[in-house]
Amino acid sequence: MNTNILKFKIATPEKVVYENEIFQVSIPTMSGEITVLPNHIPLVSVLKAGELKIVDKEGEHPFAVSGGFLEIKGNNELIILADNVERADTIDIDRAEQARVRAEEEMTKAKTGEDVNFARLQAVIDREMNRVRVAKKYKNVK
Amino acid sequence: MAVNTKAIKRRIKSVGNTKKITKAMEMVAAAKMRKATEAAVNTRTYAKMAWDLLVNLSKVQEVNLPLLEIRPVKKLLVVLVTSNRGLCGSFNANIIRKTAEQLKDPKNISQHMVGKDNIEAGENIEIDVVGIGKKGADFAKKNGYNLIASYSDISDTPNLNDILPIAKMIVGEYEAKKYDKVVVAYTDYKSAIVQTAKLRQVLPISELDLEKMMNNLGTDNEDLKTDEQKQNQTLITDTYIFEPNTTDVLKTILPRLVETQIFQAALESSASEHSARMMAMRNASDSAEDMIDELNLTYNKARQAGITQEIAEIAGGAAALE
Repeated sequence: MNTNILKFKIATPEKVVYENEIFQVSIPTMSGEITVLPNHIPLVSVLKAGELKIVDKEGEHPFAVSGGFLEIKGNNELIILADNVERADTIDIDRAEQARVRAEEEMTKAKTGEDVNFARLQAVIDREMNRVRVAKKYKNVK
Repeated sequence: MAVNTKAIKRRIKSVGNTKKITKAMEMVAAAKMRKATEAAVNTRTYAKMAWDLLVNLSKVQEVNLPLLEIRPVKKLLVVLVTSNRGLCGSFNANIIRKTAEQLKDPKNISQHMVGKDNIEAGENIEIDVVGIGKKGADFAKKNGYNLIASYSDISDTPNLNDILPIAKMIVGEYEAKKYDKVVVAYTDYKSAIVQTAKLRQVLPISELDLEKMMNNLGTDNEDLKTDEQKQNQTLITDTYIFEPNTTDVLKTILPRLVETQIFQAALESSASEHSARMMAMRNASDSAEDMIDELNLTYNKARQAGITQEIAEIAGGAAALE
């Protein structure tokens, strides 16, 4: 087994989004951003909304993720189970922006409502803001 | 005789029209089935990985979280997954019959299996039903079960956002100790021809039941693979690091696992629905075809008989004149 390569898999409940052998990956977790290189110690952690950067043979691939969790297995296998993943270049900025605005409007309406709803809306806003941010970042580069 | 042939002709035409419709429905169902099956298979990866992770975690530490808590069952929640529309053969009938059978004997279903010991259910078990799909909701209403919610606006190929509110509600109610056991009744998609009605425990999350579900997800070499994995796991579990800590990680994972299970059930059910409908429609088309053949034969015979009779009448008339 080549020890300089990570077997990487990122899946949502709906499908496996990306599966490849990679050199390194930066992941946003609850306790801060981490970068995983091959031969990492086994780790389980919780993701938060943010930008995920994968480096493989072809170069760097940015993704926007919202919550989920990651598992690094001892044999250079990395698995990410995310709620929502998108490649940065496939995000439609306008629609993401609209979704965020909509969620924010609902938020102001729901201010008086129950806090369960509140938390969900906050999560939506975070997610959409993150999508917009990641998408914009890589739009400018191109 | 002339009237008779006309009636048969009309019949042939009407059966022909029906056949056209069933044929079209078959095509539509086939296309939808392909999509639904793909979605169901895609979800299996996630479900399997999430489960593996949970197994790893449970080996490291004994944890006590509300979702894992086993209580004697006083109140049971059944999530009944059916279709919104009919014309899909015995699809809905099967799942409803199976559920009804189980609910007649609530004690049996309410037992907890913990290893070899059973925790007996309490007396007078109350049953509440959540319907996904109209047919299940109708069944619950008709049979006097307490229908607490009905979700019938779920699309043909359900996506996670459709299922999330249901899963959230179930997790919430369980944590609030309103229910002591949650069971999901759905139709498992085995192949385009075989679908089986199943009841599966969702909460409390039990190793035994999840294991069964995972094994049922129909992959080859499953035994070989799990053996290999088990060896791997025993080697490495001691060294796992948890960030921020085990409890927080579990708190994130467990509800997800419930969501995934219900989502999976909905997907399997939708794949089954479409394939059941496809088969039903194919049978209908075939029967229509047979019927047309038979009617054609009758029509031709009637026509022939008519002609023969006319000739006989003419011949008779001519003979009388001579």
